[in-house]
Amino acid sequence: MLADPSARPEDHELSEVLNLRMPAESASIAAIADAISGALVRLKVPEEKQLEIGLAVQEALANAVVHGCNNDPSKEIRCRLQCDPQGRIVIVVTDPGPGFSPGLLSNPKHGENVYADHGRGVYLIRQLMDEVHFENGGNEIRMWKY
Amino acid sequence: MDISVRKRSQVQVIHLRGQLRLGQAVDELRQTIEESLGNGDTRFAINLAEVPMVDSSGIGLLVRFLASTKQRGGNIKLVQPSKFAVQTLRLVGVLNLFEVFDDDDAAVQSFA
Repeated sequence: MLADPSARPEDHELSEVLNLRMPAESASIAAIADAISGALVRLKVPEEKQLEIGLAVQEALANAVVHGCNNDPSKEIRCRLQCDPQGRIVIVVTDPGPGFSPGLLSNPKHGENVYADHGRGVYLIRQLMDEVHFENGGNEIRMWKY
Repeated sequence: MDISVRKRSQVQVIHLRGQLRLGQAVDELRQTIEESLGNGDTRFAINLAEVPMVDSSGIGLLVRFLASTKQRGGNIKLVQPSKFAVQTLRLVGVLNLFEVFDDDDAAVQSFA
């Protein structure tokens, strides 16, 4: 039986492309996001997907630094980029924070939320990626782009 | 991020180049707009033609200053946002908060 090409890749199919650990500060967000973008170019990911993945990674890293680590550079964030033979991409961002409950986040498009100056990051990630899971109590986000 | 500002007909025309994202880029744009507001300027045209990506921090900044300028009788208008910037602003439901123009001239004239 042929594998469903839309099915999520199994862990044993994945090759690690990047595995970065950096201090939890805003400069690290840009550095990691730029490293991911460079890797996506080398992997010949289509440009539109590069932008979508790049923005999702940016948002996940920002959440890890700001909410997971309270902008404390003595703490460390981790970002891994993996791909499978079909070119499907998996990004995992981890922080050492207490985690959170993504189900409690409000919809930024509802009512007065539209005028808020925050609260759009996770919503954007979910819109831009094909599959998103929060694990380990919310301090690890695993994002797939097929 | 590169930021250039010039005043045309009482409108601060701000050109950005680079990604508008959390950190230095958003901090510099915030400082630029706050300084202009402090000088009494309330009319802004922000050219995003060379901004391939705007993150949620950048969106939050634009929305916050849109409200600030409108409270003072001004506005923030967007010029030539890139395709992905438009897509992102639309995804989070804020694109229709802004007037969008094809070039600086049209944005400046719209304040007249």
